[in-house]
Amino acid sequence: MKYTTFNQEKTNQLEEPMFFGKPVNVARYDQQKHSIFEKLIEKQISFFWRPEEVDVSRDRVDFQKLSDPEKHIFISNLKYQTLLDSVQGRSPNIAFLPIISIPELETWVETWSFFETIHSRSYTHILRNLFVDPSEIFEDIVENDEIKRRATDISRYYDDLIYATQLWQTQGEGTYTLDGEPYVVSMRELKKKLYLCMNSVNALEAIRFYVSFACTFAFAERELMEGNSKIIRLIARDENLHLTSTQHILNLWAKGKDDSEMAEIAVECQDEAQAIFLKAVEQEKQWAEYLFQHGSMIGLNKEILCQYVEYIANQRMSAIGMGTPFEVTSNPLPWMNNYLVSDNVQVAPQESEISSYLVGQIDSSVSEDDFADFEL
Amino acid sequence: MTNKDDDHRIDVIDTVSQKVTITSQANKTLLETLESHNIDVQFHCREGFCGACRTKILSGEVDYTTDPLAFIDDDEILPCCCKPISDITIKIAF
Repeated sequence: MKYTTFNQEKTNQLEEPMFFGKPVNVARYDQQKHSIFEKLIEKQISFFWRPEEVDVSRDRVDFQKLSDPEKHIFISNLKYQTLLDSVQGRSPNIAFLPIISIPELETWVETWSFFETIHSRSYTHILRNLFVDPSEIFEDIVENDEIKRRATDISRYYDDLIYATQLWQTQGEGTYTLDGEPYVVSMRELKKKLYLCMNSVNALEAIRFYVSFACTFAFAERELMEGNSKIIRLIARDENLHLTSTQHILNLWAKGKDDSEMAEIAVECQDEAQAIFLKAVEQEKQWAEYLFQHGSMIGLNKEILCQYVEYIANQRMSAIGMGTPFEVTSNPLPWMNNYLVSDNVQVAPQESEISSYLVGQIDSSVSEDDFADFEL
Repeated sequence: MTNKDDDHRIDVIDTVSQKVTITSQANKTLLETLESHNIDVQFHCREGFCGACRTKILSGEVDYTTDPLAFIDDDEILPCCCKPISDITIKIAF
């Protein structure tokens, strides 16, 4: 079905599924099928920040003091985070926007991607401060085998969905042979690709960031690289919100609250979806091994980091009905939580805006009782 | 009638099925109450949007201090942004 930027057919957005319904026409939010996405947009906008607000100048001095294995850990993590946000800054827009059919989800995806671009810009901000010319670091992202292996898995499901969507939009349903490769384009197949892609994105937001986050905060625990840590805290807060959105989408499907065919697919592809998640866990553990190949850092080693990945994976998987496949029951890195508390991100109200205050402006409800003792 | 400000009984069942009983505190969220009794619950945002503190509720009711944005199933609550409004039984998963 050909995509149109303004579908002139009258549609009832309350009856459209989240994806693969009629293209959105009017960007209206007065009535919402899934109001959660509008709430996420409000929350995300209230988190607005700019990398330049965070002073990273002291990090340069700290960086010079790090040992070589520690420098390897720090820089490798930044490279990996740069890769993740390069993908996330564009892919949800390109893969999801052409097939979304409700306005609140469309705007959520745009808001979400926009914040990923802030993250990308903040890596440049950090690296520019550490190196006179950070080109070498950026160039290595497409040359380093460890990073490339992860990039392949992260982009694969997006690319599959995007290509199938393009075929469907230009050729319609059918079987096609292109460059000797056969492609079956049917609504069922498209929805399966979408389901797997959403699971891959969910695993990315849930697991893939956390090994790097742990390393960043382990430096901060030693009062090193604190500017960087402050930026990563802001990023972690955003990523938590993004994760919430993909969990909502997956659960809306699984519980049959959106598109009944997606509920069937969720059952049909359960094992495949779980395999995507478990592979992400495995790759993160391998990443921990790569990070610590030249030596550990104080407060963190490969074993603890791997246990932490399993602990986080248990939580994230149980949130989408995948159970708890790992045996870790207590948090091996309890100090991590202190860096992930939303309000610890701000230092003082006059320095940066408090999110709850900004959201309060939008949400404030006043009941009649509030005026009970008020007289003119 | 349940009065919001009354103290309520909180039965906490942990991972090894042991039960601890504590009392709610009107000025504290459920998470803060649990922490004041040294009961560890996972948390991240403490604002209801990340879902890290997601906990099973077996009986009773809670009231939210802020609208929870994280996904919660029908039998789950977010201790970081709620207070009990009746006696409750919860099961800590991690």
